[in-house]
Amino acid sequence: MDAGKEIVRFEEVGLAYEDAPETLSNVTMTLGEGEFRFLTGPSGAGKTSLLKMIYLAHKPTRGNFFLFGENAAEAPREALPALRRRIGVVFQEFRLLDHLTAFENVALPMKVAGVNQNQYREDVSELLNWVGLGHRMGAKPATLSGGEKQRVALARALVSKPDLILADEPTGNVDPAMGERIMKLFVELNKLGAAVIVATHDLHLVQSLGKPVLRIADGKVSRSAGAGGAA
Amino acid sequence: MKMHETDQDAQADHEARDPAPRQRFFRNRGAPLLPEAGAAGAPLTAVIAVMSFLAVLAMASLLMVNRAASEWTSALRSEITVQIKGADEAEIAAGVSAALRVLEDTEGVIEATQRGREETAALLEPWLGEGNAQAFLNIPAIIEVKAAPELRSNLDLLRNRLAAAAPGATLDDHARWHNRLSSAARSGQAMAFGVFLLVMGAACAISIFAARAGLAANHEIVSVLHLVGATDDFIATEVQRRFFILGLRGALIGLAAALLALGLVGVAMRTGVAADSFLPAFSLGGFMILWLAAAPVATCLVTALTARLTVLKTLSRQY
Repeated sequence: MDAGKEIVRFEEVGLAYEDAPETLSNVTMTLGEGEFRFLTGPSGAGKTSLLKMIYLAHKPTRGNFFLFGENAAEAPREALPALRRRIGVVFQEFRLLDHLTAFENVALPMKVAGVNQNQYREDVSELLNWVGLGHRMGAKPATLSGGEKQRVALARALVSKPDLILADEPTGNVDPAMGERIMKLFVELNKLGAAVIVATHDLHLVQSLGKPVLRIADGKVSRSAGAGGAA
Repeated sequence: MKMHETDQDAQADHEARDPAPRQRFFRNRGAPLLPEAGAAGAPLTAVIAVMSFLAVLAMASLLMVNRAASEWTSALRSEITVQIKGADEAEIAAGVSAALRVLEDTEGVIEATQRGREETAALLEPWLGEGNAQAFLNIPAIIEVKAAPELRSNLDLLRNRLAAAAPGATLDDHARWHNRLSSAARSGQAMAFGVFLLVMGAACAISIFAARAGLAANHEIVSVLHLVGATDDFIATEVQRRFFILGLRGALIGLAAALLALGLVGVAMRTGVAADSFLPAFSLGGFMILWLAAAPVATCLVTALTARLTVLKTLSRQY
């Protein structure tokens, strides 16, 4: 596997929601620059919670968590937006903003980063074209199908060319052909240097790409080598 | 990244038939990141309109009291009154002649006018009845004097000369009235300013509640904005912009309503029921409207800035 700078590093990290028992316990793992991991495990095992910690939606309740070399668990609030801008997230439930068009949703990371529209218009259009939604740029999420929303969410995650891509069940709402295209895109982006973590239930997909797998069970993370051919 | 030639062809074909998506995109490029308040914004606009209306009225009161006080005091400041008493009419007439000679020789006296006996008696009629004052009283003579400011600042010499020339003469510089009116005017101004501050305080409180409610209602949007890298300042600016627009809309409605109400008051004071009011005539001149417009502008700015600070404070408690 590629060796490079550490993108994510967990050291004995625990995560608990309020006073409940820990959802994740003693998580210790690293993800280097240009590495690809699948994240698997049964429903409710903590896959989404782990991703939420990485994309800085939840703060670990204990342990050390480094993101892009910075101690994210201790980082001041003002430092978080810059870290988040280096991450592209495909949320399981898409989390598109209903009052914005597909174009505006995809452009959101660029807009909040203060990029001039003239600079990102072409990128956004190209991405939407690539995911087959060039003709739906002006459509609001309410008028899009589940698969179309998924593709808009994917385009939004990738538009800012992130160093780390996190995808939570990215193929759950698309047909097999589109699912395969999406996974190939992740692999391509990974080859270009982005670190990728894909949480999925689709073991066939995991096996077909032959990438390393992180398995979560009972709040614990373990690593196993991927099966199948390389991508 | 072209991996889907057929889709692109299909899309190009679709756009050729239906150019609307591209037009929609360009039309919507400035869409706000927080949803339009729509019906939910109407109550806030209405409350801000009321606040703005009250703020304009408070400001108008302040300006009216200011102008009234200025007119009253300037009239009192420019005039002094010499009163000449005597045992009979002849003694009073002699005193008046002597006093007028003194006044003519005094530097700073612009004009000295003796009020007629009938005119003076008429001032007493409300209390004594018609014709009674002249019939039963030895009415003192009144000389009204328009004085230059330098004379007003030192009346002791004139007072002494008048006392020497006409023993029955007394000089009234209206200082007692001037002080009382000034004091009343200051109280009125303070009260109007207090009302203005109260209205601003109420606008702040409303803005805080509305901003918190807005954040709660748009929690998901705020969360997504954070996750794609938005800073608190960015989100606060979006909220501030929204509140500024709502505030401006409400402020303009309030200003229009207040100007209408004040216009009607002005007409009533000049022509109708309030024409005899001791307040000076009220008119909405350009300068006056500028001052009045400052009140809704202040309401609008207070609303927007309070919303911004509320959002920043609320977000600072989150991860």
